[in-house]
Amino acid sequence: MDSNQMLEEIREINLGYMLLAQQLIREDKVAAMYRLGINQEVADILERLSSSQLIRMSASNMLLCRLRFDDASIAEMLSNHSRDQAVSQSHAAILMAGQPNEVVM
Amino acid sequence: MRNKSILTEAKQIHLATELIKLGARLQVLEMNSNLSRERLVKLYKEIKGVSPPKGMLPYSEDWFMSWQPNMHSSLFINIYNYITTNADIQGIDALIKGYKLYLEHIEVNQLQRVLTLTRAWTLVRFVDSSVLCITPCVKCNGKFLVHSLEIHSNHVCGLCNIPSRAGKTKKAAATLSPSLH
Repeated sequence: MDSNQMLEEIREINLGYMLLAQQLIREDKVAAMYRLGINQEVADILERLSSSQLIRMSASNMLLCRLRFDDASIAEMLSNHSRDQAVSQSHAAILMAGQPNEVVM
Repeated sequence: MRNKSILTEAKQIHLATELIKLGARLQVLEMNSNLSRERLVKLYKEIKGVSPPKGMLPYSEDWFMSWQPNMHSSLFINIYNYITTNADIQGIDALIKGYKLYLEHIEVNQLQRVLTLTRAWTLVRFVDSSVLCITPCVKCNGKFLVHSLEIHSNHVCGLCNIPSRAGKTKKAAATLSPSLH
């Protein structure tokens, strides 16, 4: 993958993520906050962004979204197939719902 | 006190309808709306096609402690706490929203709907009245439901330490091998 292609893909993921996040928030803010793992403040900001702002934000060399599992154990649960998949997923969901949300610094 | 505003009444009917569709028992409806009992019964019949079940609500807090119910109810209470602390939503609306998110998890992972809406409602009341509380598991740090009166400084959750017969209920066996029955 050359660097141009890489930047292009990052931009696409950024834009896709931002558009989805905004759509989720506009449809059902409370559920969206749970799904995205964000708090009210971030949800309000995302909701208000205009299309041109979204496009400008997406054109970055860094990803705007990041993994929900800072904790290695969640990553392991989600990728582990040795146990009952549904039980691992539920365990991971309990941990993710119990984590503090992303906050604006 | 009875409500005279038609708009408020419409809202109440809407709320009751949603609760009935999610499987709420009559007692839950009575506690959360100021529609009369007769109207609630009528509404229930209209939606479900049958009379509301009679008898007491499930009241045991021990139910939440057995393995499978504990997993389901811990998930629900985590969702409920997440939305009530982060979003501007409280009370019965938060219960409905949280329960719907729980149902979504059940559907995605093809799990059984172990926790009914009525149980979820009871659970929130148990937590509010400190009969049950949530405590972090020392292994995974996830928050799980426990009895408030038990010692839980060293709590290991049922998901870090899965008992050998966990989830192997008669019901699960029946759905796995229907030919045997």
